[in-house]
Amino acid sequence: MMRKMANVILLLLATALCYGLQVSKPHYAELIGPIPAYGKLGDAVVGRGFEARAAKVAFSRNLKVDRYGQTKVFTTGGIWAVVTVEFAASAQSTTVAVASWRGPTGLAYDQTERLSFADGLLPVAIDPGLPKKARLIFEVRPDEVSNATLLISEKLMSALDSQAEISLGPVAAGADGLPAETVDTLDLTQPI
Amino acid sequence: MLEAARSRLKAGIVAGIGTAAAIAVAGVLGAFGARHEPMPVLAQTSRIETGQWLLQPLKAYVTDGKHAYGAPLKPGGKALVLEVEMTNRTAKSSKDYFEILRASQTAVDAATKPFIVLMRDSTLSPELHPGMPERMAYIWEMQPGVVSPTSFDLMVIGKTYKQRDNLYGLPGWFNPTPIGTLTLAVGAGPDKAQVQP
Repeated sequence: MMRKMANVILLLLATALCYGLQVSKPHYAELIGPIPAYGKLGDAVVGRGFEARAAKVAFSRNLKVDRYGQTKVFTTGGIWAVVTVEFAASAQSTTVAVASWRGPTGLAYDQTERLSFADGLLPVAIDPGLPKKARLIFEVRPDEVSNATLLISEKLMSALDSQAEISLGPVAAGADGLPAETVDTLDLTQPI
Repeated sequence: MLEAARSRLKAGIVAGIGTAAAIAVAGVLGAFGARHEPMPVLAQTSRIETGQWLLQPLKAYVTDGKHAYGAPLKPGGKALVLEVEMTNRTAKSSKDYFEILRASQTAVDAATKPFIVLMRDSTLSPELHPGMPERMAYIWEMQPGVVSPTSFDLMVIGKTYKQRDNLYGLPGWFNPTPIGTLTLAVGAGPDKAQVQP
C-alpha cells in the first residue's frame, strides 16, 4: 500500500516537473529573435554589422518633398516623426533597410511607404570608414510619441542578428496634444 | 445460451450509450449549428470588424477615364470604386488588406484583383499604421461592355489571430473566413477631385 502511494506521488511529481519544463521553455520566436543593442538618443549604438547614432527627432504636421521635380506637401492622419540617424559600417559594406518606431504602449509603426521615391531614406548602403546620414520617417499617433523606442536592423527578418534599440526619451506635449516643438511643415528638400 | 444473449445485449447498450454521449457532446460544441447559419448581412452604416481591420464603407461609384486614383485603366474601360475608411486594429503596421473585400458581382470578373489606393495621395497599397484611420479606395476594373450596376455586392472576409502558428511558432493572422455580405448603392462619383500621384 505504502509502495503504491509512493509510486503515485512520484508519478505526479514527474508530471509536474515535465509541465514546468514545458511552460518555462522559451518559444521558437524568442530563440531566433533579433539580438538587441541598447542605447539612447545621441549614443553610438554598435551592432554586429553596423553602428547607428540617432542625432535628433523632429515632428511636423506636413512634409514638403521633391517628387520628380515637383514639390509636394504630404499630410498625415497623425503626426510625422523624422529621425536623423548617422550610420557607419563596422567591418564590411552592408545595407541598413528596416526601422520601426515602437510607442510606449508597444504599438509598432514601420517607416512610411508613401515617400519611397525620396532621397536620403532607408535602405542606405554603408561602407567601412564612410559614415552616412539618413532620415527615418514615421507616421505615428500623437499619443505614441513620448518615451518611444527606435528599432533599426539590416533586414526584415533579423533572426539572430543585431537590432539597434534606441530609446528616444520623453517628449513634452503642447496644448493641442501634439509635441511642443511640432512644426507646421518640415522641408525634406533641404540636405540632411 | 441465455448468458451469451445477455452479454450481447449489455455490449449493445454500452455502445448505444457511448454513441449517444458522443453525439450529445458534438451538439453541445456546436457541430450541427454552425453549418446552416446564413451569412450575416452587414449594414453599411456600422463599422465592420474583420479581425485586423475596422471598416467603415463610405460610398461606391463607377468611374472611367485613363486613371482612377493613379491606377491605370484599360482604354475605354470602367472601374467600380469603393471608398472605405480602414483602421488597423493590430499592434503593427500592416498591409494585409488585399483579401478582406471580395466583389461578388457579375460586372466584375471574379479573378480581378482590385487596386487598393490611399486616397490621401494615391499611394498604391501602402502599409497602414496601428490606430490611424485612413480613407482607402478599392478599384475593381469592370468587364468590357458591361452596364454599370446600381448596387454593389461584396463579401467581407476576416482572419483570426494565432499566438503561435504551427510551422514557425510565430504570431500571425490566419484562416480567412467570410464574415458577412455587404450591399452598397452605386452612386455618383467622388466628393472631391481624385488626387493623382
